[in-house]
Amino acid sequence: MVDTARGEQLTRLTSKEDFLAFQKRAVDRWTDMWEGQKTLVSVGVGTSSIAKGALEILDIARESASNDVIVREVSANGAFWMEPWIEVKRPGAAPVIYGHVTFDAVAGVIAGDREDLAVGTRSDQDQGTIPSLSKHPFFKDQMQLLTRNAGIIEPNSIEDAIARGAYQGYFKVLFEMTGEEAVQEVTTANVRGRGGGGFPAGIKWESGRKAKVHPKFIVCNSHEGEPNVYKDRHLHEADPHRILEGILIACIACDAERGYNYIGGEHPLAIVRFRKAVADAERLGLIGKDVLGSGKDVAFRVRTGGGAYICGEASALMYSIMGVRGQPRTKPPRSVEEGLWKRPTVANNTETLANIPDIIVNGGEWYANIGTEKSKGTKLMTIQGPSVRHGVVEVEMGITMDKLFNEIFGGMPEGYEYKGVQTGGVSAGPVTPAHFDRPIDFDSLTELDGMLGSGGFVNFDKSICAVDFARYMTAFSRYESCSKCVPCRLGNPALVEILDRIRFGRGSLEDLALIRRTSRHIIELSLCGLGQVAPVPLLGMLNTFEEEFKAHIVDGVCPTGTCPISAREPAIAAD
Amino acid sequence: MRTLPRLGDRNTESRDREECRVAQPDQSHAVRPVVAPYTGRTEIDLDVVREMMSHIKYDDFEEAQELILHACQEVNEHFGWVSLEAAEVIAEHLGTSATRVYAILSFYADFRTEPRGHHHLVVCHGVSCYIGGSQRIIQMLKDDYGIEDGDTTPDEQISVQVVNGCLGVCDCSPLVKLDDEFLSHVTPESLNNVLQRALAGREAMRAANEETNG
Repeated sequence: MVDTARGEQLTRLTSKEDFLAFQKRAVDRWTDMWEGQKTLVSVGVGTSSIAKGALEILDIARESASNDVIVREVSANGAFWMEPWIEVKRPGAAPVIYGHVTFDAVAGVIAGDREDLAVGTRSDQDQGTIPSLSKHPFFKDQMQLLTRNAGIIEPNSIEDAIARGAYQGYFKVLFEMTGEEAVQEVTTANVRGRGGGGFPAGIKWESGRKAKVHPKFIVCNSHEGEPNVYKDRHLHEADPHRILEGILIACIACDAERGYNYIGGEHPLAIVRFRKAVADAERLGLIGKDVLGSGKDVAFRVRTGGGAYICGEASALMYSIMGVRGQPRTKPPRSVEEGLWKRPTVANNTETLANIPDIIVNGGEWYANIGTEKSKGTKLMTIQGPSVRHGVVEVEMGITMDKLFNEIFGGMPEGYEYKGVQTGGVSAGPVTPAHFDRPIDFDSLTELDGMLGSGGFVNFDKSICAVDFARYMTAFSRYESCSKCVPCRLGNPALVEILDRIRFGRGSLEDLALIRRTSRHIIELSLCGLGQVAPVPLLGMLNTFEEEFKAHIVDGVCPTGTCPISAREPAIAAD
Repeated sequence: MRTLPRLGDRNTESRDREECRVAQPDQSHAVRPVVAPYTGRTEIDLDVVREMMSHIKYDDFEEAQELILHACQEVNEHFGWVSLEAAEVIAEHLGTSATRVYAILSFYADFRTEPRGHHHLVVCHGVSCYIGGSQRIIQMLKDDYGIEDGDTTPDEQISVQVVNGCLGVCDCSPLVKLDDEFLSHVTPESLNNVLQRALAGREAMRAANEETNG
């Protein structure tokens, strides 16, 4: 088996010059491939497209391909609505993406006589009747920095990644700047934590760098347990080297001995691709002792989770890495003082770290010009629920909700009407269409009782009952509570109980006050982030749709007919 | 094939293309002898576990502890569950106690400490699927098959796991994974049909086995 798609054996690079030579070879090979006389057929393979048959399509394409055709397995490009897709680049023409490809159509698409399936060309110019993708509403307003390689490089090929600029930032940190300068760039860029909290990464790095205890660790938090977010998974599948580079830069900048990436066990493809990336980087000598002859050592470990939402909390995550139950602990000490194995540990979200390579290469100033005053850069956003176009998009901070929901994602499909959009995964309240003119960044959503969080949005339409939806989200928190501290362990089941009472038509108006009181207890007394936000979606629903709660209690009807209250026969509480 | 014919009445860009789903060969879940091959993995062969453990190497106790979760995952993935005996083998290899391993098995949602059924059903209960009606599917499984999250039917045919996270195929919601196949836009009725076919397939295979083996 060859190491990469291009076929060069990966050998250890021992000096700066070695790396530059390798980079040059990779770029040359990449250019030759795209400007050569062979047809390039790329099949987008990601978790979501595999479910729709992308692997079979890849097999069919490989079987039917002649010698003039190179078939590549690229990753998904975020546009889940057009999967499974194939990109065909013919010599002398721009690459054309064909969507909704059936098994029967593969041969036709490659031969070039299925123009009816063409979605667009991946260039700025139209090609005949096929419009440019940059005019497509889904791509038009995106600003692709992190996902720039998604659907273009082969994620299993380190050469593709290097040809497209990977490890340039790492190279710069190794040879051209000091650790302080690197941390300074990140501070200037003012990149805020993408996992939900929005804490500035530069401050974390600075305290990490100042810690004098060795060894120190960098932990990348790639655990996405929320039921409505899949951005980190997408990033791992699309461009694993970008994340790896981000972690390695953090290791050098903070003078840390070892980097970790903790990936949730529910993303097998992400794990496979990331492990491959690490193995390739090790073979090239980008990880290990005396990296590229710079005298610096970096070690790296990939750890996987077991499907516990709570392990997205930094201290729980570290316990999980250490092989015990993932239960958060009281702070202080903060993890930069005492984290993994009681050593100073800097923990960042995947998306935050994926921003780092560009910041190092282009400088913090450049990055600080993107986005809004307080929220810099771009953000990956995902949509769920009824929507015309599903997928992961990367947009500049400060984009209006209207633009995101109605233009990029295409709004609600026919026959559906907005009731609201749930923000911030399961840790914040909903926003209603009345607020769609507001921009999306860390702070503006908080004003609306929403949260940007990890960028997961859920459309829900008029057929969804606010009480039932609130119960769903509270039941999620109840299920995922780690049971360590009492307010969360007992409070969430109590909330579910009250909501069930309302759903079954046995609620009273005092219950609404009881919900608020119990929620306050949970929010104020819980130990960790999960508990502190667990009742927030319920409170948001209650504040936004109080009338609906009252209809259940006072009138004894569920306006949407979802809850058992509206059923004639007594139904059983569903879990 | 991967997906069911479109079952919902949703009109979205990705669902408009009927041919995307329907035209693909072997699409209809027609009755086949066996939907998924019989895995025969209900019993855990401890020699296999030991063999798996021999590939998990570590330098010091710290690293060994970090690998407990990984080791459990390997076993769980291969056999579908982890028995107490297997946990002991893991503990022995990593120099820790079986209690420690079992504490992990009982905490993390991915691990099962009881064998799976011959068909393993994974129901996505992410928000998208909830809005699409996964609740009704869970209710159907409870009413018609008497199984809830983590249960196996008494005849060991079907086990079910409800995923609280997201399987990540949100435009096909509600989504169910039966063995290795994704079923999209599932309704209680369509899922019931598929399950009945899967069971019939297994029955047919068993009958054929009995015929040949006497």
